[in-house]
This record gives sequence, structure tokens and C-alpha cells, in this order.
Amino acid sequence: MLATLALASLLRHRTRTVLAILGVAVSAAMLLDMVMLSSGMRESFRGLLLSQGFQLRLSPRGTLPFDTEATIRGADSLLAVLRARPTVAVASPVLGGQLHFPSRGATVTASALGVEPAVQGDYELVAGRQPTAANEIVANDATLRAIGHSLGDTVHAAAGYDPQLRTYSGERTLRIVGRVRFIYLALDQRAVALPIGTLRAMGGPASADRISLAMVKLRPGAEVERERAALHALLPRVTVTSTAQALEQVDQRLSYFRQLAVILGSVSLVVGFLLVTTLVTVSVNERIGEIAVMRAIGVHRWRIVGQILLESSALMVIAAPLGLALGLVTARWLDSILARFPGLPERIDFFLFQPRAAWTALGLLVISGILAGVYPSWRSASLPIAVTLRQEAVG
Amino acid sequence: MRVNHRFVCLLLLAVAVRGAPAQQTPRSIARGDPQDAPRSITIDSRLAADASLHVGDRVVVAAGTGEPGDTVVIAAITQRRADPAEIARGEYRVRLHLGQLQSLLGYGDRVDRFAIATPSAGATADAVARINASAFGFQAHRSADVAVETSKTFAVVSRFHRAIGTITIVASAIFLLCIMLLKVDERRRDVAALRLIGCTERTIVGSVVLEAAAIAVLGSLFGVVVGGTASFLVNRHYQAVYRTPLRFSIVTGDIVLLAVALALVLGIVAGWLAARRLVRTPPLALFGR
Repeated sequence: MLATLALASLLRHRTRTVLAILGVAVSAAMLLDMVMLSSGMRESFRGLLLSQGFQLRLSPRGTLPFDTEATIRGADSLLAVLRARPTVAVASPVLGGQLHFPSRGATVTASALGVEPAVQGDYELVAGRQPTAANEIVANDATLRAIGHSLGDTVHAAAGYDPQLRTYSGERTLRIVGRVRFIYLALDQRAVALPIGTLRAMGGPASADRISLAMVKLRPGAEVERERAALHALLPRVTVTSTAQALEQVDQRLSYFRQLAVILGSVSLVVGFLLVTTLVTVSVNERIGEIAVMRAIGVHRWRIVGQILLESSALMVIAAPLGLALGLVTARWLDSILARFPGLPERIDFFLFQPRAAWTALGLLVISGILAGVYPSWRSASLPIAVTLRQEAVG
Repeated sequence: MRVNHRFVCLLLLAVAVRGAPAQQTPRSIARGDPQDAPRSITIDSRLAADASLHVGDRVVVAAGTGEPGDTVVIAAITQRRADPAEIARGEYRVRLHLGQLQSLLGYGDRVDRFAIATPSAGATADAVARINASAFGFQAHRSADVAVETSKTFAVVSRFHRAIGTITIVASAIFLLCIMLLKVDERRRDVAALRLIGCTERTIVGSVVLEAAAIAVLGSLFGVVVGGTASFLVNRHYQAVYRTPLRFSIVTGDIVLLAVALALVLGIVAGWLAARRLVRTPPLALFGR
């Protein structure tokens, strides 16, 4: 009975109801997008950091990994200390640099990572194999395209220029043995990886016994924060960052987007709430005579309240699936815009769909719908029956 | 070529600064003649605030933790520029004399980049072409090209804002149409009476559209006040958070004009649609007879 009356009331003004549903759907879409934005980046980045199972990252004291060009000296002794610890399962050193590839009369420059291929966690092999020998290298698609070579080819590479001697420095002939996808780099960013010893040798004395970063995978059962604190105290020249700390840093740097998400999400919810409140209030005002008659023939005031609340909730609930679908479409669109951030890792999503986000948006919409019906239902329940009937009859 | 910058700036991540109380002898001086007067540096206001440093204080700068360094005097505290590229970076900035920094870092007779002043745009293009044709091991870029490259991040943010703005406009248009529909619906009896006493459809539609336009203009003016206040609060908040003079939100005349024009167009269209719907209904039906 309640549902029939509520439905009849909504169908009486079809245009108005359709517009209200559309309005709420757009608000719901925006709300879902903002809920996805507020948690998506963080979760996406967390997944990226943990994708290779490394829980700790060691960088030069006072820096974040690859935030500056600073390097850690005495890398071999540092790695020895790390690998001697019973809690450490894997320690993976990384040296960052650049390699220049003379190609078709020009020079192609690519980021270079010196790694220990057996324990590296910076790239995934797409084709070929790991660079095990000193003269082997792996490259991503962007680099292979730029230098015009493919798997199995031999390339000439230089680590730098010497402006005084006017010549390349640290030259090597390397064989491409693998095609890889770098996990922490942008898709269009040219990059290669090679054994760390080769990159150090090419870099000359400035790179000797240095690394830019060391990644540490702990043994099962080891407590990450305790190990981080222990390493921090043990190694005064490095900053030890756990995944949780890295996420905090990301939160700080991307706080703008989180705050924007909270503000726009709240505005969307308020707009949807106001729209439904206005519509239901006007609808109640138009039916004030009907409601008085219902009360006069014995319908309990709580049934009237229930009907009005059902109307407002129905608007929200009908609009919600439409809004959530619209939200997913707009999220893809907005994500494709933000994915063009220079240097953003390919796997980072700003709008990450999680069932929890959809349930949160739906829950907020339903609560908002119920609250939107409170004022008009209170107004309808507190009508003076006789006076209202008289006013309606007399006009 | 003329070297335009006397100082090279360096992130403190590369050069650690250790504070020492003013007018006291620093604990370690490794380079330079102790008889020489200490050289001067400038630091940014964030470092000054965080490390409680003042102009005239003596500090030791070193290339790394635990390494010997040079004693210097803080000659000036600089305000960070309103540079969007720097807002998310937490590093401090210190400016030293070029030779001193090269010595501290063991950098030799090297610099990272030169800035070259040219007398005209034509001379710039000529200089870039000549340097790139003859120089080996480095490349010349026009400042404008560098600016485009470094502002790509903000171009993306700007596109994102435009997309959000588009969604907001769609939501606002539907909201406005709904409200206008309700507003006009409330006056169905007035409209019926006007029709019965002989007012033309055109007059009625015109009056409703006029009313809608007035509401849209008043609403958008109120929106401009709300927007201006929000912009002020946003700037206050983010300038404090990022400790920068950068203005994050600017309400310009163009933006105000666009907002008012958009609201006016949406209001008129919504009013016209609602009024058309009403005048096509027979007057007696509007009376509910």
C-alpha cells in the first residue's frame, strides 16, 4: 500500500521525476568518482610498491627513492650488512643513470638502471631473458622504438659526454637480450636495465661502489617497522622508507586530490539532497489536501511519514544504479586525463574501482535520500487536519 | 656568452646545512683559510623558520652527513617564488657562490646549466641554432620551450579541472531545469487565469523567461560572492599548507562573465521549456477542473 502510493505520487509528475532522477544520477556519479579518487591513488600506489614484495627501500639520507640524483657511497659494504641480517630475505641494489645511444645520426637518451638481475624488482620481462652477462642489456618498447633495434641486436651505448675531450665516455657495445616493462616508470619513458657492474664501469670513478637505492624484501614473520627502525639506527648514511611511510609521503604530495575529492563529493551529496528535498517538499505541498483527507479517514501519521520517506528514498535508489554506471564511465574519462601526468607510472590509477567505494557511495545516497524526506514528511505529519481541509475546500 | 646567474641553487638534500648559534665559532672548518671572512649564502624562509636561523647566523655547509664543510654566514633569507612546480616539494633551498659549491661538491670546473640573455627573439633563435650546431655534449633550449615542458603537469591538472567543470555544469543544468519546472508549476493557476483573461502565450512565456533570467542573474551573482569567498579561503589554506605565495585559485573577470552568462543561458532555456509546457496545457486543466 505504502509503495503503491509512493509510486503513484512519483508517476503523477513524470517529467519532474525523470529530471530529479537524472540530477541525482549526475550527483551520484560525481560522488562515486570522488570516493574512488580519495582512496584510489593510495591503493593503486600501495599495490605498485608491494607488487614485487619489497617492503623497505634505502635511499641517500634525507631523500626519497630517485627523488634526487644523490647516491649512496660504500654500496658493497652496505649490501653486505643487509644480507647478513637474519630478517632480510633479499636485498636488491639499483643504480640510476643515463645511457646515450647513437642512432641514425642523432643520439637517443634513455634512463638506465643498474641492477642485479637475479634479485631485481624494477621490471617485468615481456620477452627474452635477464641480462646475466656484463655486455647484455634489456630495454622497454619506448627505447627499442627510438633506437630502431629489436631483441638480439647489438647496440653501441655511452654513459655520458666529456665536454672537455669532446667525446663520449664509458662506451660499450651491448646486446639486447630482453624486452621488459618497467614497473615504476611511465609507459612512454625510455629506459634500459643492465648489470650494475657494467653501469658502474661505464660511469667511471663517480659511480664506483655507489647505488641510488636498495630494496629489501623481509623474511616471512619479520616486523617491517621494527626492521626499518633497526636499519635506520644501524646505517646513518641512508634513509630507510617502509611502504607505509612511502604512502604517507604520497598522501602529503597528493593531498590536493584527496581534499578536492572530499569537497566535490560533499558538494555532490548536498546538491542531490537539496534536489530531492525540494522536489518532495513541492510534491507534498501540492498534495496537502489529499494528505489531510487520508489523515481524516484514519490513516496514521506514521504511514504518511513512511510514504514521504519512501518517495525520497525511491528517487535516490532508482537514480543510484544509473549514477554509479555513469560514474564508472566518467571515472575512466577523468583517469585518462590524469594518466597523462609526465612520468606517472603506467600502473597508477587515480580512480580505482573498489566495491567498498561503490557501497560507500550507495550508502551515502540512501542516507541522503532518507534525510531529504525528513522535512516534508514532518510537515505532512503535523498538518492540522480540519483547517487544511477547510482551506482546500474554500480555496 | 654571458653567464647570467651568479649563484647556483642546490637542494638541501645534496648539501646538508647544520645550524650554529650566531657569532659562535663553528665546530668544524675543513676548507678555506680560517683567516678569511666566511662567505655568504642565502636560505629560503622555510628553512629559516624550521631551523630557527636568522640573517647573520653562521652555519656549516657540507656535501653530506658527517663530512667536513665550510663555515658561511647567512646574508639573506629569500621568499620562495610563486612557482607551481615547487609546491609539492618539501626540500629547502640554499644559494651559494658558484665556486664554493663546486669546491664543496668536488664538482670541478663544471656547471649544470647556463642562462644566456639575448637582446631579441631573433637573436635567441640564432643563438640556439648556432650553439646546437657547434656545441658537443650539451644542448641549448629556449626558455619558453623549457617552460612548456615543465608546465605539462599543470596542463594536465587544468584539463582535469575543465572536465570536472563540465560535469558540474551538466549537474547544474539539470538542477536548474528541475527548479524552474517546479517554480513555473507552482504558478499554474496564475497562468490559467492570465490565459482566461486574454493574455497571449507569448506574453506569458516572456514573463516566465524574464523571471527565470532575473533569478539566474541574481543566483549567479550570489554564486560569484560564494566563489570569491571560497577562492579566498582556498588560497589562505593552501598558501599556509605549502608555505608559498602562489595563488591557487583566481576569480578573474572572464570567469565571472562566463559563470553569469552560463547561468543566464541555462536559466532562460529552463524557463522557456517550463513555460512552453505550461501554456500548451488547457487553462481549465491548469485549474484542475
